[in-house]
Amino acid sequence: MPSRAALKSAVVNRYPLLSSLLDARALPQGTVLTPDLAIIGGGPAGISLALALAGGGQKVLLLESGGLGFEPPTQKLYQGSETGVSYVPLDSGRLRYLGGSTNHWGGWCRPLDEIDFESRDGVPHSGWPFARKEIEPYFARAQALVEAGPWVYDAADLAVSDSGPLIRLGDGGLYTSWFQFSKTKDGILPTHFGQRYRGDLTRAANITPLLNANVTAIMLSADAARVDHLDIATLSGNRLTVKPRFTVLAAGAIESARLMLASNDVMKTGVGNGSDLVGRFFADHPIPRNVATLVLFDGRCAPFYANFLTLANGAVMRAVLSPKAEFLRRKSVVGSLTTVENEVKPDPLATAAILTTAEALGVDAAHAKAFSLGCGMELLPDPDRRLTLSGERDGLGMPRLNLNMTIADDDFARFRATLAELGRQLLAAKSGMIHLSYNTRAEWLKAMDWGNHHMGTTRMQADPKKGVVDSDSKVHGVGNLYVAGSSVFPTYGSSNPTMNLVALTLRLGDHLKKVMA
Amino acid sequence: MRRRGLLGGIVAAAFVAVGGAAWKFHLFGPHYRPTPYDDLLNQITDRAPASLFGQEALKTMPGINAADLARSLRGRGPLAALAESDPVQGRVREVAGWVVPEAVARYAALAAAV
Repeated sequence: MPSRAALKSAVVNRYPLLSSLLDARALPQGTVLTPDLAIIGGGPAGISLALALAGGGQKVLLLESGGLGFEPPTQKLYQGSETGVSYVPLDSGRLRYLGGSTNHWGGWCRPLDEIDFESRDGVPHSGWPFARKEIEPYFARAQALVEAGPWVYDAADLAVSDSGPLIRLGDGGLYTSWFQFSKTKDGILPTHFGQRYRGDLTRAANITPLLNANVTAIMLSADAARVDHLDIATLSGNRLTVKPRFTVLAAGAIESARLMLASNDVMKTGVGNGSDLVGRFFADHPIPRNVATLVLFDGRCAPFYANFLTLANGAVMRAVLSPKAEFLRRKSVVGSLTTVENEVKPDPLATAAILTTAEALGVDAAHAKAFSLGCGMELLPDPDRRLTLSGERDGLGMPRLNLNMTIADDDFARFRATLAELGRQLLAAKSGMIHLSYNTRAEWLKAMDWGNHHMGTTRMQADPKKGVVDSDSKVHGVGNLYVAGSSVFPTYGSSNPTMNLVALTLRLGDHLKKVMA
Repeated sequence: MRRRGLLGGIVAAAFVAVGGAAWKFHLFGPHYRPTPYDDLLNQITDRAPASLFGQEALKTMPGINAADLARSLRGRGPLAALAESDPVQGRVREVAGWVVPEAVARYAALAAAV
């Protein structure tokens, strides 16, 4: 690969720049770039990986499809079709410019729990090829990159006593757990990776961010054992070639799968798709609204359940109700979080239920208050929740995707069992009670919304027959191709993916430093 | 002064007597026609909300009548003790979406069934 200085003298000084970021539209037609590492995608995974390798001896090319802001023609490249359960349009739940979907994320952070990595009998296809301790060393750096403040999480129980009591629960399956929130020092909430780290990327001598560069094909060697080169196209008609020693796909769980499936010149089923797993097990967090009503007999709900609470050390917290690992194992349910939302007025039947129950329990309900509950659910892994290539093509000639979205009755039933357990614990503590809003599939689907946390389509498993990437995030069977991001998550609990995918990406960064040396 | 004090004492004693009688015989509380299940239902101060909720509880117990409910509740201890122990021991019932102690559902159903 030419040195960065040589590249700049050959290209940068002759063609327009975007504030010291290279623009693929301005490079000469047919340019061939030869970095040590090509990172496909300038979202949180791609940027975190580039930053992890900044200052090293390896030349890193960060390929971003978009520019520095939202551009409709680029965003339109995301369009696709859908079948099955109604879902967010494929061009709506993510953003295609530097920073990726951190440009509109909610900033919720929480590390995956240990049980999220376990293979469980009652949850088919569950589990990672390693335990949580493998990524724990990277949590602190990930927390710093997402700017979520000091690491507090469930230690917040001890720090919030002045702000009100925790909801009293009897012994059982759920407990109060804590999320933290991304917050930048300049007041932007939460951290937009493109804005925040653009300067760091351009200052690093070994990193070249290339904007408006769409990878349209991963071209394998004839024996399919290695990536030979990447085809790059711009919407303005420019065509480039990148011949990297190593490639990391970090384009998100939808686009990474699309690129692998569409790159089918050597492997007819797509890159890394020998076991027909690329694009399967698509996952998200369903967030149906108003799933239940929480009644607290004394009417007192600490504000940190429904709103942010900023601790003295600057950490921004919010409490949720989560299932314990023991409950998840015993009841074969999957992860969830339940949030307290707004105060609601009980109807006559609710009032009757509250008065009757409170009197029987011997508690005063004269000041009782009711609150609507929200949630985030993990879905059971489903190979039929799947991305496939459709017959349509985008503006660059790439096949568009079809998403077959599914959600099983069992998904609702298992979360409902979790809510019922919460109700039992409230009664056991004589602190309150719960009303479950939905019983039928139609009721659940009518209330449905989604977290837009795309995961699972290039799942990580040690066995090539069960996963797309191995425990190093390397694509099975392809020697120099890796995947970064939540597309490798086989199971994912109720924690939002961003901080976790950044931690996993930092781990990949350490691995790449060794193999590229 | 002494006569005034005596009159005050008599008035106070009268208030206490009337109030005590009202409390003892529920003179100012809701009145319900007698039922064969008053040994159970008298544990519920206001049967109106219990009966309203109990109509929903009855729907979760098909084929059950008041006599069946009474049989299942007699000899098991007071409602307060059952309402406390049921959720601890996992005995809860969902009534129109409300998760309640099993005993509360049965007592409410009884209030609705009579």
